[in-house]
Amino acid sequence: MRQKRLLVAWCAILSVGSISAATAQDTAKAALAPPAVVSPADKTAIQIFEKQVKDYVALRNKVRENAPKLSKDSTPEQIQAYRTALELSVRNARPNAKRGDVFRPEAADYIRRTLKNEFQGQDRKELRETVLETETQGVVLRVNYPYAQSAELSEMPATLLAKLPQLPKEVRYRFVGRNMLLVDRESNVIIDFMPDALP
Amino acid sequence: MRRLYIHKFLIALLISSALSCPAFAQQRATNNAHGAAPKLTLPLKDGSLRFAVMGDTGSGSAKQREVGDMMVQYHQAFPFEFVLMMGDNLYGGEAPQDFEKKFAEPYKALLDQKIKFYATLGNHDLALQTHYENFNMNGKEYYRFKKGNVAFYSLNSNYMDKKQVQWLEDELSRDTSEWKVCFFHHPPYSSAKKHGSDSQLRDVVEPIFVKYGVDVVLTGHDHVYERIKPQKGIYYFVSGAGGQLRTGDVKETSPLIEKSYDRDMHFMLFEVVGDQMYFQAISRTGETIDSGVIARRKK
Repeated sequence: MRQKRLLVAWCAILSVGSISAATAQDTAKAALAPPAVVSPADKTAIQIFEKQVKDYVALRNKVRENAPKLSKDSTPEQIQAYRTALELSVRNARPNAKRGDVFRPEAADYIRRTLKNEFQGQDRKELRETVLETETQGVVLRVNYPYAQSAELSEMPATLLAKLPQLPKEVRYRFVGRNMLLVDRESNVIIDFMPDALP
Repeated sequence: MRRLYIHKFLIALLISSALSCPAFAQQRATNNAHGAAPKLTLPLKDGSLRFAVMGDTGSGSAKQREVGDMMVQYHQAFPFEFVLMMGDNLYGGEAPQDFEKKFAEPYKALLDQKIKFYATLGNHDLALQTHYENFNMNGKEYYRFKKGNVAFYSLNSNYMDKKQVQWLEDELSRDTSEWKVCFFHHPPYSSAKKHGSDSQLRDVVEPIFVKYGVDVVLTGHDHVYERIKPQKGIYYFVSGAGGQLRTGDVKETSPLIEKSYDRDMHFMLFEVVGDQMYFQAISRTGETIDSGVIARRKK
């Protein structure tokens, strides 16, 4: 009888353990899920945004051919030469680039609403703390010019990135205060930025 | 007068030959700048895997160089094969002179001995560091390599996008290595006041670590040393004071702390012997601030 009770107790402990492990997995999956409801208008805004990004990537990859090749074991001088050449080539290739070219009003509005809806309560507090603790003094928000090398980069949490439209590997989201930037991963050039993105 | 000159010359000659004498040179190398010989707590077993860990190094300060010098001295007593870097490899700029002053010069003696450095990116590091010849990242922001029976995963915790999470899960799911060690910049657990635990990162990576049997997680970001009480069977370390220090930054009352140190800069040494992983944390002045052994998780 005593052995039976012990067996039941062990089964209960094991099942609680497996439920909590499963819950942790589910929590992680939910945190990484894209926004659940996307209206047709938002879908169109996202498609236009993604096309603008894609066009930028096509252009920068084309002009990148002007930059010296960069191997996987480069010297600091080669890295600097590549970064500078890419930065100049990108700037020259989009002389009329201005704020709002990629973050068009509809896409910017979608991003603002998504972040506001998806991050509430404690999640929002933590997101704000993570982003706003970043020391970004020296960053001048100017399209087509690089993010200051001396400034810190804001951490972009996985839970946040999962809610935003997905980007190709050449482009990154980044925060400066409540402004959201699109930055070229290699040249560090600011492609575009939108104000008041962070809820 | 002439005799005095001859005496001075002879004394100078004597000092110079003593300094160049191999026995004296070795003695100088064995004793650190603060007069004490390296005190190893590691077993130094034949055929073991040995490596060092340092984080938040790239300040270019005199104290960073002193930590580098201490690593050289310990390398003589404990020949480690490679060094893991926890990110913030270069603060405040990435011109060629920054690579020189903040990395190549402080660790020149180790680089000259062909010690490999494996870097991860911190919140002060630009993506093109992945192409730097001495960081061995092969152009990748996240990568895996294997040494002996240990698989190492370097992650980019600054930009944990879906692709990276998927890559990590895919790689770990088919990894049959006996030991799995992940290293990245932001600590999922930390008792430091400045940053502390990165719970958003933890929510995403910890279930994967637990599911696929990661044994040890090494991080930086907070400029202190901390060994966290094992969490869900995983050993977490914060080693973020290789070139920066926040004195008094550890919340002493934190329930996470197994051991912490925030009075000086430090680096770490590890030795893997079968199912045991030995570790030793060493301060800039050569003091042992923590040591112990980790048993491999049952899988």
